[in-house]
Amino acid sequence: MSFLPRLARPLCSSAARPFSSSAARALATPVAQKPVLNKEFKIYRWNPDEPAKKPTLQSYTIDLNQTGPMILDALIKIKNEVDPTLTFRRSCREGICGSCAMNIDGQNTLACLCRIDRTPKDTKIYPLPHMYVVKDLVPDLTLFYKQYKSIKPYLQNPNPPEDGKEFLQSPEDRKKLDGMYECILCACCSTSCPSYWWNQDEYLGPATLMQAYRWIADSRDTHTAERKEVLQNEMSLYRCHTIFNCSRTCPKGLNPAQAIAKIKMELAAD
Amino acid sequence: MASSLLASSSKRALVRRGPSFAKSLLASRPATTQSSDALYVPGGPVYKGTVNDPTSFPEPSRAHGSHHWSFERLLSASLIPLTGAAFATSPSVHPVLDGILGVSLIVHSHIGFDSMLVDYLHPRKFPVLGRIATWTLRTATVGVLVGVYNFNTNDIGLTELISKVWHA
Repeated sequence: MSFLPRLARPLCSSAARPFSSSAARALATPVAQKPVLNKEFKIYRWNPDEPAKKPTLQSYTIDLNQTGPMILDALIKIKNEVDPTLTFRRSCREGICGSCAMNIDGQNTLACLCRIDRTPKDTKIYPLPHMYVVKDLVPDLTLFYKQYKSIKPYLQNPNPPEDGKEFLQSPEDRKKLDGMYECILCACCSTSCPSYWWNQDEYLGPATLMQAYRWIADSRDTHTAERKEVLQNEMSLYRCHTIFNCSRTCPKGLNPAQAIAKIKMELAAD
Repeated sequence: MASSLLASSSKRALVRRGPSFAKSLLASRPATTQSSDALYVPGGPVYKGTVNDPTSFPEPSRAHGSHHWSFERLLSASLIPLTGAAFATSPSVHPVLDGILGVSLIVHSHIGFDSMLVDYLHPRKFPVLGRIATWTLRTATVGVLVGVYNFNTNDIGLTELISKVWHA
């Protein structure tokens, strides 16, 4: 890399263009402004301070040509410029934190990874389905996290490696974890699963089950038998009826249904 | 959320009816520091322990777990060749396959209906209706087993009935 000599150069001399300048501003004659492209967003609103008031869909119209490309950009613009009481979770704005999971036009996805549909049709945004709502687009994920904790999502191996450094794993064994370790626990898949809607107090749901298999499949973990044993009941695993909503909705393109199928196969072979 | 809304509106109804009546009913409720009078319970009514406790698992049981699943899948898969074989051998004097098909079909449909009841009418949520439904299903399955047995031994049997209806 050759950035060291470049750093030695003065970063912002008086002759350099300021950072804020753009091609349009540098022109002598102003370019034509982009046309207004209004789009209506209908967003689920519910305020816990007025619990007797029914949840409503509130309409916001914003100019898409003054907005970023993603749904999250539109939400932030609405919150900044139209209605500061609109409440939603967001953090990384690039699909790695899983905070902005919500139901956009009927599909659970991350607002930061979902492009705004630029047709004149309105876009409806709801919180994740069938979850308790804290406020507006913020669902209560307490139970989801409690379930994640119940599968012990950490390496269990009482025998430390001989060199005292790290547990080694062959490249083939490492490959088994691909497609599972990438899960960011946004809860899009679990909340798209009708079985999880009806029985979420007992059924773990696709996200947690895929993480359960992530640790069952890990060659470094020695508690595989215990991990499998706890799933040997009617509710925790076998409420999955393989309808693939989870794999279809996953904003990270993972396949929880396949992981669940592999757990079922391994349990059956036990 | 719907239940918390319901709870809050019914509480309001109590308050509207009369302060003394409401006070006597709500006296046991601990005082809260919340600004609203609707108690928000995170996780809703199905939530046990603190937010840091993991959820618990039911007692492990292979009969309800992997054995049930394997049996159900094997049964479903074997129904396809079994149906063909039963039709091929049905005009014989001892239609054993016909009988096996009758039993397998009934067990298969029993497992299917039972799965629905576990999904939608589980006794933990519907202590009365769920049990009624489960026992209705069991009674119906036993009844159908007896009926099919009688039909297969004293009458023409399942496969011949279907081929008769087919050619009628």
